[in-house]
Order: sequence, then C-alpha cells, then structure tokens
Amino acid sequence: MLRFLGLRVSRALLTMVLVVTFAFVVLRLSGDPALLIMSADAPPEAIAAFRQAWGLNDPIWEQYLRYFSAIFRGDLGQSMRDGRPAIELVAERIPATLALTLPALAIKLGLGIPAGIYAALHRNSFADRAVMLLAVAGFTVPSFVLGLVLVLVFAVQLGWLPSGGQESWRHAVLPVLTLGIGGAAVLARFTRSAMLEVLGQPYMRTALAKGVPWARAVRRHALPNAAIPTVTIVGFMVGSLLAGAVVVESVFSWPGVGRLLVVAVANRDLAVVQCILLLVAATMVSANLVVDLLYGVLDPRLRSAPRGATA
Amino acid sequence: MSDIPLSAMPAPAVSAPPARRQARVPVLVVLAILWLVLMLVVAFAADLLSPFPYTALDLRNRLSPPVGMGGVWLHALGTDELGRDVLSRLITSIRMSLLIAFGATAISAVLGVTLGFLAAHFRGLVEQAVLALVDFQASMPFLILALAVLAFFGNALPLFICLLGLNGWERYARIARGLAVSAGSQGYAAAVTGLGASPWRVYGRHVLPNIASTLIVSMTLAFPEIILLESGLSFLGLGVQPPMTSLGNMVGYGREYLTRAPWILLAPSSVIVITTLSVSLLGDWLRDRLDPTLR
Repeated sequence: MLRFLGLRVSRALLTMVLVVTFAFVVLRLSGDPALLIMSADAPPEAIAAFRQAWGLNDPIWEQYLRYFSAIFRGDLGQSMRDGRPAIELVAERIPATLALTLPALAIKLGLGIPAGIYAALHRNSFADRAVMLLAVAGFTVPSFVLGLVLVLVFAVQLGWLPSGGQESWRHAVLPVLTLGIGGAAVLARFTRSAMLEVLGQPYMRTALAKGVPWARAVRRHALPNAAIPTVTIVGFMVGSLLAGAVVVESVFSWPGVGRLLVVAVANRDLAVVQCILLLVAATMVSANLVVDLLYGVLDPRLRSAPRGATA
Repeated sequence: MSDIPLSAMPAPAVSAPPARRQARVPVLVVLAILWLVLMLVVAFAADLLSPFPYTALDLRNRLSPPVGMGGVWLHALGTDELGRDVLSRLITSIRMSLLIAFGATAISAVLGVTLGFLAAHFRGLVEQAVLALVDFQASMPFLILALAVLAFFGNALPLFICLLGLNGWERYARIARGLAVSAGSQGYAAAVTGLGASPWRVYGRHVLPNIASTLIVSMTLAFPEIILLESGLSFLGLGVQPPMTSLGNMVGYGREYLTRAPWILLAPSSVIVITTLSVSLLGDWLRDRLDPTLR
C-alpha cells in the first residue's frame, strides 16, 4: 500500500513538473515578451529597462530555476497589463466560477449516475433508449450552442430569466443548467456502459446462480464494481471545477476564471495565463491523485500491483 | 455541457452481444452516413455550390430572414448584419471546419501511433518518457493547454491545426503501444524480424495493418471532439480568425444578433450538432462492429 501511494504521489509531482516546464518552455519559445507588451516603436531604452526588470537578460537555465523557485514561493508573476499579482487576479475570480461549477457538478452526479444505472438495469427498454438518445445529444451539442438556445428560449422568448451577468442567483440558473445537462449526459452514458460491462461478468452469474436476489446482487456486486470506471470520470469532473466553464462563462458574461482566461489569452497577458494554467493543472493532478487513492479503496487488487499507464 | 470534452474519456465498451444480423445497418447510421457524405460533397464543391462569394456584401438585403421566416429565395438562409449570404458563409465554414478536423485528426493519429510504436520498440527509458507525456496530456484539460499555447504564440491557421492535432494523441499512443507490445509476443512480428525485416518494415507493413481497424474506430470517435474544440475556440474568438470563417466563428458572430437575427446562429449550430452526432453514431456503430474490445 505504501509503495502504491509513493508511486502515485511521485507520478503526480512529475506531472506538475512537466506542466511547469511546459509553461516555461512555451513562454520562452513564444518570442520576446518585451516586444509583445511594449509597442513596436517603443524607445530602445524602455525595452531594455523592461527586460532588466523582468530578468529577461539572464541565461535561460537561470531563468528556469528562478521561475521554479518563484512558483514554490507562491509568486506567479504580475499581470503585465495592470501590474497586480496574477495570483490575486485569479483568486478573486475563483468564487464566481465555483458558484457555477459546484451546483453543476451536483446536477451531473444527481442526474447522470442514477439515469445511467437505471438505463443499464432496464437495457433496451424505452427508458433506456430515451436516456441514451439524450446522452448522445448531450455531448454532441456544444456548450455554447446549448447555452445560446437556452438563452433564446428562457431569456428572449419567455423572459423568465436574465441572459447574462452576475447580479443575483437567477443569473446563475441558465449557466448552471448548461453545464449540468451536458455533463449529466456524458456521465449517464458512461455509467450505463460501466454497469452493462459489470452485469455481464461471470461473478454476477455466480451470485445469481447461488440464489442471491437480483436487487442484492446489483447492490453488492454490480454497483461497487461499476463504480471504479465511473470514479475516474467523476474525478475528471471534480478536477475541472476551475477550468470547466470557460465557454459557458463567456456565453453568459459570467466574471469567473474562464472569462479571465479568455480575456488574458486575447490580450496575451502571459502571467495570468500561466497562473491559471498552473492552478488548473494542480487541481487536476490532485483530483487524479485522489481518484487513484480511491481506486485502492474500491479495488483491493490494485493496492499490491503497481498500475501501468492504462488508467 | 462541460467545456472539457468528457467524451474524450473512452466509455467502457459494452461487450457486444454476438450479433449475427450483420448485414443490416441501422436506419440512424444510414442517415448519419448520408449526412456525412453530403458534408464532404459540400466541402469539396464549396466554390461551385455557394451562390455568392462568402464575403460579398448585399447592403440592400441586410438581416434578411431565411425562407420560411419571411425571407426571399435569393438568400435562402437569410443574410447577416452586413448583408452577407448565410448559406454561402455556411458552405465555406463547413469546408474550413472539416479541413481543420481532418487535418488535426490525421496529425494526432500519426503522432500518437509513432510515439506508441517507439515506446513499444525501445521499451525502457523511451517507454517511460512516452508514458509520462501520456499522463501529462491525459491529466490536463486540453482546452486550457490550447488556450495557453494560443496566448503564447498568437494565432495562424497552420499553427491552429497543429495545435488541435495535439488533442487526443495520447489515446492513439496508448492503443498503439499496447497493441504493438502484444503483437510483438505473437508469432508474425517475430517471424518477419527473424527474416531480417527492419523495424520500419515490421511496424509499417505488419503491425500497423493489424491494428488499423482499432485505430480507425478511435479516429472516428475523436473526430467530433476536434470539431467541438475548433468551434468552441473559434466561438471564443481565439480560433479561426476573420475574414476566414468556420462554424464556431459564425456562431460567435451570430451571438451578437441573437434576438434580432437568430438564423445567423442557428444554421451553423445545427450543422455542428448534426455533424458531430452523425460521426458519433457512425463511430459507435463501427466500434461495435469492428472492435468490441476497444475501450
């Protein structure tokens, strides 16, 4: 178990190092930030001063090490636009994003998992077909289309709800629905196939053959086994709590992390982009780590054998 | 739906019932194939089919509604704020979006298969490095990575296609590595190696054809994702840049006229939805037919 833990934690750390390196390399490859930020006809001494101030004249490995140590000190640079620390800019947007993504996650779990289980248990029934049709539709409809259609119906035609902004809870209804419906569809589809796979396993037949009632066999044997693949995707959803609403926030002009990211990308405000990238990566990696540990809890077989990269 | 293409997560394949009625193709799949053929024809014959150049202005018919909503046949799907014909723009957009999706799918398949084969061939350190990259890619929401790269490098069409080509390579890499490793333990690869074939020949001529059906199925399953990704980024104004146009781009533009001229947005939206739906249906069906083991 300790070995399992150590392996997973070191893998997570390695991934984080890769992300940081990725951010650094891409940042350095992308050309001279001095020229990006300053206009082309800025006086040379201003550019030189900018370079000096941001440490752009030092050797590349020194910049890399400094970059790394700065990150460990929680210093993610300043927004090149307004000079405030990037981490501050991002942090003040986090509550707004969570206000959308947490309720949406609840919808996904509360709707998607039961629907998937029900569909699997009643395979080929009308309800199963309906759930699957909705599920396929749910992930082929892009979020911006779903969001805009909801706006068209509930804001423009019916006038029940506002179409954008963040003044009251009513403003959150449409974005939360947009996020929740699509995610629930994906989760339902996934849960269903995980359940179907498990229901076809020999141990289910054995359980039924030795006289275990159907409901009990499902509860004791099918659900725990089907939980393992489902936990993976739920982990992914938890990991994308911060980053999962980029498009939806833009559709609904919701001032969250995603909106900030889009604006920062458009303005090429690299410090902010980096900060969000690292934050998202950290969330994702931690969520994956928790999922990996949960595997160990859910499936004792995985505790001893080191897992390959087949997760 | 969530911005991160969760459909990216391979749904565990249902062990397909041993269907013997293989000749019958479900109606929905037939419809899907017909739609995709139509899209391909449109993409290839875009110049012949579009009634107007996609940038042509018709200032006397601005915001003209489509036929059926009080419009005229001159502009069957209506026009936008500048009097540009929605149908013509739609046709050009379909070509652009399909070009990007095909290009990106091809790139990610080639990249993934190459890395997967390298890992399977050299094992050891190379394999560990590839697996670490796979882990990295799989653990990051691709949209965020893509946005970061776009922020750093700015945007140009070839770069954009290559960037989208990085989406999903890790899945091909996993499949190719896994299948190549198991092929290595089967007789045929060892046999041709024993006959003196170079690794290029072994992997290119013998292993690749044996895993092709699995790869084709995963390409079909990845294709809608790329379309959604491209249209999402273009919708945000960070993908295909004007004056070029793509489906997502049109939706982003049409959003401004949501109340006054919803047709600008509805036409490309429906094309996106129907196309991704068709490819998904086709992919699911192919998976069940060709490769029930694919996960």
